[in-house]
Amino acid sequence: MALLEIDELTRRFGGIVAVDRVTMRVAEGEVRAVIGPNGAGKSTLFNLITGVIKPSQGVVRFAGQRLTGLPTPRICQHGIARTFQLTALFPEMTARENARLAAQAGEHRRWLFVGGSALFADAGRRADTALERLGLAPIANRPAGLLSHGDQRLLEVAMALAQNPRLLLLDEPTQGLSVEETARAVETLSGLLADGGMTVLLVEHDMEVVFSLANKITVLHRGAVIADGTPQAIKNDAEVQRAYLGGFA
Amino acid sequence: MVTAAAVVALAPLILPLYLMTLVTEALILGLFAMSLDLMIGYTRLLSFGHAAAYGFGAYASGWLLLHTQLPMLLAVPLAALLTGFVAIGVAWVCTQATGVSFSMLTLAFAQLLYAVAFKWTSVTGGSDGLAGIPRRPGPFGLDAFISRSGFFYLVLIVLLGALAFCQALVRSPFGAVLRGIRENEAKTLALGYSTRRYKIAVVALAYGLGGLAGALYAPFAGFANTELLFWLLSGQVVIMVIIGGSGTLIGPILGAGFFLVVEHQLSNYTEAWALFFGLTFIAFVIFAPEGIWGLFTTRLTRDGAIPRVKPKEG
Repeated sequence: MALLEIDELTRRFGGIVAVDRVTMRVAEGEVRAVIGPNGAGKSTLFNLITGVIKPSQGVVRFAGQRLTGLPTPRICQHGIARTFQLTALFPEMTARENARLAAQAGEHRRWLFVGGSALFADAGRRADTALERLGLAPIANRPAGLLSHGDQRLLEVAMALAQNPRLLLLDEPTQGLSVEETARAVETLSGLLADGGMTVLLVEHDMEVVFSLANKITVLHRGAVIADGTPQAIKNDAEVQRAYLGGFA
Repeated sequence: MVTAAAVVALAPLILPLYLMTLVTEALILGLFAMSLDLMIGYTRLLSFGHAAAYGFGAYASGWLLLHTQLPMLLAVPLAALLTGFVAIGVAWVCTQATGVSFSMLTLAFAQLLYAVAFKWTSVTGGSDGLAGIPRRPGPFGLDAFISRSGFFYLVLIVLLGALAFCQALVRSPFGAVLRGIRENEAKTLALGYSTRRYKIAVVALAYGLGGLAGALYAPFAGFANTELLFWLLSGQVVIMVIIGGSGTLIGPILGAGFFLVVEHQLSNYTEAWALFFGLTFIAFVIFAPEGIWGLFTTRLTRDGAIPRVKPKEG
């Protein structure tokens, strides 16, 4: 059974069908990229999975359990973490505090307000591990708002990682990065994914990034799935070439 | 801080009577302002109706002292608990909205309470309020707190206890969530926190502590009237928090003291003291947005008081 099952998922905004009867399966351990031109419905798909918006039709299941209809925090508690297309951080907190707040979201002690800093011990450890894995340990004590854009993007990934998710949703992790920053982010991310065991759903515009990270690709066009397969199969698909890739690779 | 507390603790030995009354009132107002800081400074929930907490606490403890045989040391915390409990309902409604609408709803609730206090004469005394509120001694022979200096020490102990409690709170995992809501509520929600529940919790705590301040005020002044529920006080306490330094807990206590001293001193010279105080407030907002405490301690980098960083544009 696939970890993430999406069936006939549809979302209409007025007369526009942003996501059109999308059906897909993401297996455990898969790194799946969702690609498609602007307005293809990629971010809407993420928002539907995480419950930020409700679908007009269709169902999302995660590890066999129905997510559709649950509020966002409950969906997160099933083990789904996401990053945002536009960087979303806590600018006045340090990088470590950002990661720690993410890490403690899954703990029952998040409600405690007496007991001092010992309460942070577990969350702090997981935060430090996540920062380490993304190469952010040297800047852990800097306020997030003062980090470079590249580091901010990686910090968002670290925060998602600190939540120990079963499924990681990455919304354009290299969005707005310079060529050098993109190269560094890709290197860091592929190192992370090479460790294996992580299930990732990735939205990305940069085809180079997609082909270096993903092992499965789903192509969206005008809200609908037009192709689904290995990177090699997608590269060779005539329809994908016509709709989107436009001669890439 | 410890030295400051020690100096204040010596006040009854050196100060003339009327000044000690003033200091006691300043400490009560300080507790009131500090309670609001949990909302404004740490969660960025701007309440324009915090007088509701103060007035409700004052009326509750006043009523308990007038109509039951409870000693003051039990009536006061009971009134505070009652305020916090009622605030859960208020917060449940107010947190349906965010931003300005939230502020307006808190104001609406305070005005509602104000109207009730005016009309429900049999319980609240109407426009006369509750008068002749006693400081009943006990229990267990704990009578020292009912004298003027004893009451001063009671207020001081309560304030320091509340400050320690709030400082632990803002540095706890719960406090970290509040700061998350302050800086990016959408992200906090996306991390899996039901932010609305946290907001309801912090409003209930802030109102409970504000109610504690009001509950102390009633036996301090001996009366409780509708002025304690009026929007003017709600506005003044916001000013105390901002002038003292929001998000610092200690700042608002200083802000309350500053407010009271200025009111006292300026009103000796001019009836238009509020005008000059308003100008002072504007000057603080423009030139020292970190407030009095911020002027003392520029840019602390400890847990709970992270330097303010302007978020990057775009």
